[in-house]
Amino acid sequence: MTLQVTQLSKQISGRSIIDDISFQWAPGEIIGLVGRNGVGKTTLFRTMMNQYVADAGKVTVDDHDIVTTPEEQRRIFFLDVQYNFLDNYRLWEIPDFYGTVYPQFDHQRYLALLTQFKLDKNSQYRRLSKGMRALTNMILALTSNATYIILDEPFDGLDVIVRENIATMIIDEIADQEKGFLISSHDLNELDGLSDRVLLLKDSHLVHDYNLEDIRAKAKKLQLVFKDKQIPAVLKDHSQLIRVSGRVLVVVITDYTPEIDQQLKALQPVLFEELPLTLEDLFRANLAHDTGYQLMK
Amino acid sequence: MMHNQLDRLIWRRHRRLFLATGGLALLGCFMNTMLSLHSLPNGPVQLVDGNIQKWDVYSSTYFSAFPYWIVAAYWMVGLLMMNQDLKDNFNQFLFTSGFSRQRVYWSKIKVAMLGLLVIAALTLALDYGLTYGIALTMKSAGVGFHLAWPGVLTSVIVGLLSSIGMFSLTWFAALIVGQTGALVVTIVGFTFSLVGSSTISVNILRESGVTLNAEQQTWLMGAGWLVAAIILFVWGAALYNKLSLEHNGEYLLFPKLKVPVYIVFVVYVTSLSVWGTDGWSLVFWFLASAIFGYCWLWRPRLGEMFHQWRSRRG
Repeated sequence: MTLQVTQLSKQISGRSIIDDISFQWAPGEIIGLVGRNGVGKTTLFRTMMNQYVADAGKVTVDDHDIVTTPEEQRRIFFLDVQYNFLDNYRLWEIPDFYGTVYPQFDHQRYLALLTQFKLDKNSQYRRLSKGMRALTNMILALTSNATYIILDEPFDGLDVIVRENIATMIIDEIADQEKGFLISSHDLNELDGLSDRVLLLKDSHLVHDYNLEDIRAKAKKLQLVFKDKQIPAVLKDHSQLIRVSGRVLVVVITDYTPEIDQQLKALQPVLFEELPLTLEDLFRANLAHDTGYQLMK
Repeated sequence: MMHNQLDRLIWRRHRRLFLATGGLALLGCFMNTMLSLHSLPNGPVQLVDGNIQKWDVYSSTYFSAFPYWIVAAYWMVGLLMMNQDLKDNFNQFLFTSGFSRQRVYWSKIKVAMLGLLVIAALTLALDYGLTYGIALTMKSAGVGFHLAWPGVLTSVIVGLLSSIGMFSLTWFAALIVGQTGALVVTIVGFTFSLVGSSTISVNILRESGVTLNAEQQTWLMGAGWLVAAIILFVWGAALYNKLSLEHNGEYLLFPKLKVPVYIVFVVYVTSLSVWGTDGWSLVFWFLASAIFGYCWLWRPRLGEMFHQWRSRRG
């Protein structure tokens, strides 16, 4: 069972927003989608779901194109947080719609989760706070029992308790390997603890498809202090500067080889310490326009 | 009434609209009938005159065989059903619902037609029933109410065809126009212009040597509405398939329609305005409609352009 996005492209007002995007997604995976503001994360979701008509490319579920076989769309859940129709409905009314579309929608569990999270089923959606809406969206996503669940910025602007609740719900749900999540988020720390894989969008393209385990095996984040102020060539060639504080450099080397290790140690740094590598470091390392050393003049 | 999931979904979404529109149509018809019959003279009177024997739409001081509230209900539902789904982002849900767009489109029309047929039947029942009831209670005062099939059938059939035509107009307009205010202005203007264009059509027919009596004109109009409705429904289905929601909020949801709409607007407004007038009127109305149409469709920021021009000069 897989969902396959193939060469998906979309232009809006003559500007290419997403271009030639391809990736595969299987149940059991939690994929993070990261990229700078306006890079096209939400446009990718909307085009995947046929809300925006794609200029090229297709989305297939088990080799069935969702445009020609629309029933397959019911295996994908996507609730647009910016543009949805829920505002005027009370929470108890919403399953009337989702229950019709998703054949395995779990009405009982929906009501139970509303109660568990102290959400009043008689409240109108538009009267909910941002955090309550995010929780409601998450409850709908989970109780739809769709195989592929797309979450657009589910942690945006939420307090730590709600974020933890949402993250816990996702992890619990993935345990039986029957569901997959594709999550876009600016909160890279939150994704760090959740995702197995991260897709990186840049300049309308999917520039990296990281398997975080592999990346962590190859990349290193180092804190270094050298005797003189000169930046060694090995760093300029192979690393991205994450932070500088006085003579203390924090760098990420995405492909850390024994040769680089030897060259660095040969320079006899005053401080050579390995730090835990986070998704944020990778994001900075890959999305910075230059390696950062130009700023140190 | 609604046998499949999609019909039920659409009915669930729009049932309040049908209840409100139905309520308004019934209330309007009730008020209209009561006001008409309130002014009955003291002597014996026939509520329906001899014209009811003609194959023509019947309407007189005391009784209308097809209340205009029904036409208004069709007009309103066509506009709101399509526009609300766009404005409230229900289209987003429909397009991801697992039903093909064609099924969604035709299902919406089916649900609308069924709902409106019930509203029409109830309104007609109220109109006929109330008038008959009042006539019955005032029978001793010499009030009579006698119907005939030709007038009743023509009124109901042509009335329903006109109503479906009106529905198709507002439905199609709401499908292609993405701004509610501009949509209302556009469709209200076009609806009023139809009075003028129907008169012109009859004149054109007469000048072409086709002379029709009132009954023939009525049935021709009914047929015209039916053809227009079929064309607009089918064209709408093709467009709905290509509706891409990134254009939400723009005047035209299909940017490629901008030039054709502009040409149709200029030709329609010019020909409607200059019918039977002189050449100067033609020039005036052509220029006026061309400039207005350009400003309306392309919305040039004239103030901004003026300030930019002035700052360049300065």
